[in-house]
Amino acid sequence: MSRVIGELEELILLAVWILEGDGYGISVKKEVERHTGRSILLGAVHITLYRLQDKGLLESELGGSSEKRGDRRKRLFRITKKGMVQLRASQEVRQKMWSLIPQLKPGS
Amino acid sequence: MSNQRSFARRLAGTLIERWVGRAYVEEFLGDLDEMYEDRLARGKFIAEAMYWVDSIHLIFGFSSTEKQQSHSMFIGNMIKIAWRSAVRQKQFTILNLLGLTLGIATCLAIGLYVYEESTYDSFHVNGDRIYRINQPMIWGDWNEQLSCMGPGITEAIRAEIPDFEEVTRIMFADEQLMSVTIDDQAKHFNEAKYFMAEDNFFKVFTFPFLKGDPNTALKEANSMVITASTAKRYFGDADPMGKLIDVKSPTGTNALFTVTGVLADVPAQSHLQFDMLGSLASVTGFDSGRSTWIWTIFGTYGMVKEGTDVAALTKKLQALPPKWAEPTTQGVFNQTFEQFTKGQPWTIYLQPLRDIYLAKSPTFNRFGPSGNPEFVMIFGAIGVLVLLLSSINFMNLSTARSSNRAKEVGVRKVLGSEKNTLVRQFIVESVLFVTVGTVAALAIVQLSLNAFNTLAEKQLVLLPHFTSPYFLGVIIAFILIVGLAAGSYPALYLSAFKPAETLKGKLRAGFKGTGIRNGLVVFQFTVSIALIICTFFVQKQLNYTRTIDVGITKDHVLQLYNMHQLGEGADVLKARLENNPAFTVVAKSGFLPPNVWTGDRYRAEGPNQPVVDLHYMRCDENYLPLLQAEFIIGRNFDPANAADKYNIIINEEAAKVLGYGSKETWRENSPLGKSVVQSFGSEEKLQIIGVVKDFNFNSVKQKIGPLLIMRNDNDKHWSYGAGFPSYLSMRLNPGSVSSGDELQRIIDGVKAEVAKVDPAVTFQYSFMDEEFDNTFREERKMSVILNLFTVLAIVIACLGLFGLAAFSADQRKKELGIRKLHGASVRQLVFLFSSEFTKLVALSIVISTPLAYLATDYWLSNFAYRTPINIWVFMAAGVTAMSIAAFTVGFQSFSAANANPAEVLKNE
Repeated sequence: MSRVIGELEELILLAVWILEGDGYGISVKKEVERHTGRSILLGAVHITLYRLQDKGLLESELGGSSEKRGDRRKRLFRITKKGMVQLRASQEVRQKMWSLIPQLKPGS
Repeated sequence: MSNQRSFARRLAGTLIERWVGRAYVEEFLGDLDEMYEDRLARGKFIAEAMYWVDSIHLIFGFSSTEKQQSHSMFIGNMIKIAWRSAVRQKQFTILNLLGLTLGIATCLAIGLYVYEESTYDSFHVNGDRIYRINQPMIWGDWNEQLSCMGPGITEAIRAEIPDFEEVTRIMFADEQLMSVTIDDQAKHFNEAKYFMAEDNFFKVFTFPFLKGDPNTALKEANSMVITASTAKRYFGDADPMGKLIDVKSPTGTNALFTVTGVLADVPAQSHLQFDMLGSLASVTGFDSGRSTWIWTIFGTYGMVKEGTDVAALTKKLQALPPKWAEPTTQGVFNQTFEQFTKGQPWTIYLQPLRDIYLAKSPTFNRFGPSGNPEFVMIFGAIGVLVLLLSSINFMNLSTARSSNRAKEVGVRKVLGSEKNTLVRQFIVESVLFVTVGTVAALAIVQLSLNAFNTLAEKQLVLLPHFTSPYFLGVIIAFILIVGLAAGSYPALYLSAFKPAETLKGKLRAGFKGTGIRNGLVVFQFTVSIALIICTFFVQKQLNYTRTIDVGITKDHVLQLYNMHQLGEGADVLKARLENNPAFTVVAKSGFLPPNVWTGDRYRAEGPNQPVVDLHYMRCDENYLPLLQAEFIIGRNFDPANAADKYNIIINEEAAKVLGYGSKETWRENSPLGKSVVQSFGSEEKLQIIGVVKDFNFNSVKQKIGPLLIMRNDNDKHWSYGAGFPSYLSMRLNPGSVSSGDELQRIIDGVKAEVAKVDPAVTFQYSFMDEEFDNTFREERKMSVILNLFTVLAIVIACLGLFGLAAFSADQRKKELGIRKLHGASVRQLVFLFSSEFTKLVALSIVISTPLAYLATDYWLSNFAYRTPINIWVFMAAGVTAMSIAAFTVGFQSFSAANANPAEVLKNE
């Protein structure tokens, strides 16, 4: 995987995967906020979602409206194979790097 | 829920719909609403505010992506297309740009001139509180204003009116001879821009000091402030402070003035122009004499206190003259205030400082230049007209040109171009054109500014304006407005075409812009023809004034100035000049026509004779013969007759106003031997010994006024004394001035004679006919500039007509070809083709004639002697316009008519 993804991209990609087909703007936003404890703007979520889609890491379709949304449909995102590979790759990079940290010596 | 959305949310929604791509709108709005519901728990305000924050964020985040997807053309693309179509039709492009550039350059130059003229005196810090105090023209028409007051009004204001923070006076002083001695070398200067100012002058006006203290510089008697360049002129690089300058005072005595301050040079845009200011304290007793209300040589300026009600103040001032002027009228004229004013109100006016330069009245300013509001108006109007003409041209040609692009538009529409995109394309093109034209015009103006300045006698500058955001704003606004206006018609018209029709070629036959285009051509030619006519009459009037018989022979009279500075030496010089064979007569006088401005009050001797204002001039017995003035009855002064010293000669007009009637009635009631009484002072009687035929002693702009001529050695009149100007005039022997070289030799000879008598006196001379001519300097200047702009207007109109004719020729190629096939001759075709334009020009002639007549009639009414408004001028202008138009169209029509029909018709 030649491309590197940013931290927010990674978080959002993970959230979409976690939500398993139920990921749209707000649910993704909530998911990320819940785990990280920081708040992000809706616009940032949308921009990132679309960027990830452009990169081929996400795919989407319109569906599922609710009364709360004024009968408007939402765009549901789903992670692609490529997205999964990307996530695993970045996890591996970290794992590899973690493993290289000198072991803590007892007593120090 | 959705039906309860607040206005703020609906607005945000609309904005998103407007700017964010259609594909996203649904989900975004859905998300926003959903979040809003969640956030309501934390308060409506927060929910509402966050809705907006998110909306704006989304708009910023997604609008840029959007643009690239739906607009098929970028601005760069538009410029490329504009450039291609400009190059494809070179002739149109050049005509179009040339006309536009000329128009903008003209308007810009005029704009600079008008701006400069209307922003005089704007550098004074307290300018909005400074007023010049004016009064009626008490020496003539009381309805006119006089910009100079007697010194008395200031005393009265200081005593009674507390609303002024300061009132200051500046006193007119005649030309002075100044001398300084540097390293034992005497240097002499003749100073015309020398006045006396009161010590608080610099509290009112902002003239920055380079050296010295503005508060005290003019406090002491015999102190003087000078400008930097004057200091340089007198003392070079030495420090002028404390240096002495010898001033020959008006009474002939010398006084030494100490330099107590150096000012930065007075800005050109000031109605007060001086090189040196003496302290008013040097003039002893100026405000204590009897004549303090009528000695009208004091410019009086008041600075009102902050927040003063000027209207109420003006009302208060009206009480002053009746209360304070009576001692003057009694003491000088033996009249009560009412008798003196003859019941006319002695109004006191407050004129705002910044209005002074361009005010219609008072016209005369003793202390510097005064502008001509009429010129500014005329030129402003011409500037706008020329700009309008060239903008119209631009629109006209753009419209005409764009119809050639109908196919392009059709193809684009078929390929999916939206109407908006097309409109934008045409407007961008036209704005680009105007931008190029404006930049070129700025360059042209900058390059030709020197020439224009020489012509208009101005110091206009362009470059410094570029630092002003206001100027740049005007330029940009101008580009956008003209660009939009000129581009909008073709843009809206063309983009509305139905592609199917334009592609079939239907547009050509049915192109409808002709009505408007013809209207615009008529407008252009109306303006051009009217300008031709007006210019012609201005020229005609100027020529006419030169040929008016002024009643005296003004040619071949050489006049020497500053003779009063010679004192007794003037007689020595006169005797020497009389021996010069180049001169037939040499005479001495106190004034020179056409500049006899002085007047006084007189009445015929006898009970109940009315007091009248007469001009007067002083001269010796040689002057009237030198002028070749014609005596109707009586005789000239006779040096052998001692009584003649106090006798006078009057002109016909004076005889009339004094009540002696006209020359037909003189047989019964001759003015000869009658006396005229000075209606002031000791009421001296002056006996009339002759009446001369009226001659113009002032500019021929004016009618001849009543004139009284007294001997220059009449010492009973107050104007007798060494300080009053005197002149020597010489009539040249026509035989001795056969060439310019010879004339120069004579003048050099006179100069040497003057230097022999007194080397300190400045040698200055003029010719009387030139002085008469000079009274029309302003008009001549105007005429030159008017000629220039008329030519420009005609050129612009012709460019427009040429372009339209070319366009029309192109459009009608096939029609003419078919006509030719059917047997029409070239002559018939040319006639057919030209008649369309000829009709337009003929209509313009009809419209412009009455307009030009009114304008000319109005302008000529300023003059006492008018050139007649002849019909033939109108006809000549019409013929000129017609032939220019015919010439312009002719070329096109010939080439169109001569074309080979086979060539024209072969492609369909």
